[in-house]
Amino acid sequence: MSSAQLEIQLIASLVAIACAIPGTFLVLRKMAMISDAISHSILPGIVVGFFITQDLNSPLLIVLAALTGVITVVLVEQIQKTGLVKEDTAIGLVFPALFSIGVIMIAKNANDVHLDVDAVLLGELAFAPFDRLLISGVDVGPKSLWIIGSILVITVALLFAFFKELKLSTFDAGLAASLGFSPVIIHYGLMTVASVTTVGAFDAVGAILVVALMITPAASAYLLTTDLKKMLFLSIFFGVFSAISGYWVAHWLDASIAGSITTILGLLFLVVYLFAPSKGLIAVMYREKQQKIEVSLLTFLLHLKNHTEENERHVNHLREHINWQKIRAKTVVDLALKNNMITIDKHIVSLTEKGDDFTSQAIDYIITNEDAQIEDMKDDFFLFRG
Amino acid sequence: MSKKTAVQIDDLTVAYNYKPVLWDIDLEIPEGVLMAIVGPNGAGKSTLIKSVLGILKPIAGSVSIYGKSYEKQRSLVAYVPQKGSVDWDFPTTALDVVMMGTYGSLGWVKRPRQKEKKAALEALEQVGMLPFKNRQISQLSGGQQQRIFLARALVQDASIYFMDEPFQGVDATTEIAIINILKALRKANKTVIVVHHDLQTVPEYFDWVTFLNVKKIATGPVKDIFNDDNLTKTYGINYKVSIQK
Repeated sequence: MSSAQLEIQLIASLVAIACAIPGTFLVLRKMAMISDAISHSILPGIVVGFFITQDLNSPLLIVLAALTGVITVVLVEQIQKTGLVKEDTAIGLVFPALFSIGVIMIAKNANDVHLDVDAVLLGELAFAPFDRLLISGVDVGPKSLWIIGSILVITVALLFAFFKELKLSTFDAGLAASLGFSPVIIHYGLMTVASVTTVGAFDAVGAILVVALMITPAASAYLLTTDLKKMLFLSIFFGVFSAISGYWVAHWLDASIAGSITTILGLLFLVVYLFAPSKGLIAVMYREKQQKIEVSLLTFLLHLKNHTEENERHVNHLREHINWQKIRAKTVVDLALKNNMITIDKHIVSLTEKGDDFTSQAIDYIITNEDAQIEDMKDDFFLFRG
Repeated sequence: MSKKTAVQIDDLTVAYNYKPVLWDIDLEIPEGVLMAIVGPNGAGKSTLIKSVLGILKPIAGSVSIYGKSYEKQRSLVAYVPQKGSVDWDFPTTALDVVMMGTYGSLGWVKRPRQKEKKAALEALEQVGMLPFKNRQISQLSGGQQQRIFLARALVQDASIYFMDEPFQGVDATTEIAIINILKALRKANKTVIVVHHDLQTVPEYFDWVTFLNVKKIATGPVKDIFNDDNLTKTYGINYKVSIQK
C-alpha cells in the first residue's frame, strides 16, 4: 500500500467519523433531510469564500460555508413557521435555490479553476493526497487530512462536553428548556457542527456522499441497539468500515471512491435492515407469524376452557367449531401439546392444569392490561412482548 | 388561611401567531395544594404550564415562584410533560430517563455520577419501577412510561411539581399509584399542579382547582368552587355533572 493510498483511507475514515457523530443526532431528531439541505446550500458560501481567498482550503471558506448552512436552517424554520407549508416543502424550497445560486456563480466566474460542479457533487478523494500542507517548507501531510482532522477533534470535544445536554434536548426538548438548557442553543450548535463537518468533508467526498455518511451509518446503528452510546460507536464503526472497504472496492473496480463508499453504505444498511435481531425485517416478520400462531393458540385454549361438553372437544370436530383450515389447526394443536397445555385422550382434547392457568392468566392480562403478572410469560410468548 | 404563595401569575397573555390562547390570566397558587387545571381542549392548559416554566414566551404578564422569577427558582420546580411529547423509541433505558431529572442541578457540562444514579434508583423504587430500570423505554407499557416520567420529576426533589396529563393512557392501578404519590407530596407540603381531564375524579383527587378556557374562569378550593355553574362557564354547554362530594 502506497502512502497516498493510506492517506486517502485515513481521510475517508476521519470524514466518516466526523459525519457519524452529528448524523446520529440528526437521525434521532428526525432531521435527516436537513443534512441534505445543508450539503447543497453551502455551495454559495464556498464559492464566495473561494473568490475572496482564491484558496479552496482557506479557513474563511469553512466559516462562510458553515454560515450558509446555518442560514439554510434558519430559512427553513422561518418558512415553516408561517404555517403555509410543511417542513419537507420548506427544505425543498430553500436548498435548491441556494445551490443554484452557487452553480451560477461557478459557471459565471470560475470556469477555469478546480471548483466544478462534478467535484462538488462527488468529491475528489483520489486527488486529496496531492494537495499538501507545508509548514515552513516541511511537508506535514495532505491539507484535507489536517482540515477534517481539526474538525473531528472539535466535534469529539463538543460531544464529550455536551453529551448530556444533547441527549436531553433530543429526547425531551420541553424538559431541557425547563431545566435551563436552552434547546435553541443546542439545536443551532448541532446545526453549526453539521455545517462545518459538511464543508470539511465536502472537498473530499462531495455533497451527496456527505449525506450518506451522516445518515446511513446512524440509521443502520439505530436498528441494532437501544443505547445511545452504542449507537454512536456503531455509527462510527459502520462509517469507517464503509470508507475503507469502499476505497478498496473502487481500487479493484477502478471506479469512483465516493461512489463505492456510498454503495457499500447502502448495502450495509440493506443487510442490517433485513437481519437486525429485533428490529430487522425478517425478525419482525417472524415475530408477527409467531404472534399469529399464539393468538390462535389462545383462541383454541379458550374454546376448550369454555366448553366442557365432549363433542365440542373432539379432535375431528375442532376444525369445524373454530372454523380453521387443517394445517393451521394442526400447528396449533401441536404447539399446545408441545407446551403440555393439552392432553388428547381417545380423540377428546382436554386442558391440562398448566394450560388452564395459562389461559386464565392471558385472558386476565388482555382484559385488565395489567403488566405485572405477565412478566414471567414474556420470555416464552411473543404475544405479550407488544 | 395564611399560606404562602407558591406560584403567582399576573396578567399573563400568550399567543400563537398573534392569536391569544391565554388571555390576561391572574392566578395565585398557595403552597401545599394539590391543584387540578381543568378546561376543554384548546383552553390553554398546557400552554399555561409551559409559560410558567419558560418553555413558551408570553407576550405580556409575569410569573413568579416564591416571589422570584422562574430563572432564579428553577431548582424548586419539577416538570412532567405530556407522555406523547417525546419519542419513546429513543435509544435509552428507564434508569437513564430518570437520571435526566438530575441534569438541572448538575448544570452544563458536568456529568451525572454515583450520587445522581443513587437518587434515580430511589425514585424508581418509589414509583415501583425498579425491576424495569434497564429496560429500553419503548418496551414499557403506557402506564410504566408515565411512572418513569413521574420518577424523573421526583428525583429533582422540587417544591413545586407541574404535571401535564399524568393520567393519560394509564391503567387503573397506575392511576391509583400516581395519585397516592401526589397525595404524599402534598402531605410533605409540596405544591402539585396537574392538567387533568377526568372531571369525575377531581373531588376525589384534588383539594384545589382552576377552571380555564383561554381566560381564567375560577380558582379555589374544590369544595367551594367545583360546581355546575363553573363547569358550564368553562365548557360552554349546559354542564350537569352529578358528582358526589
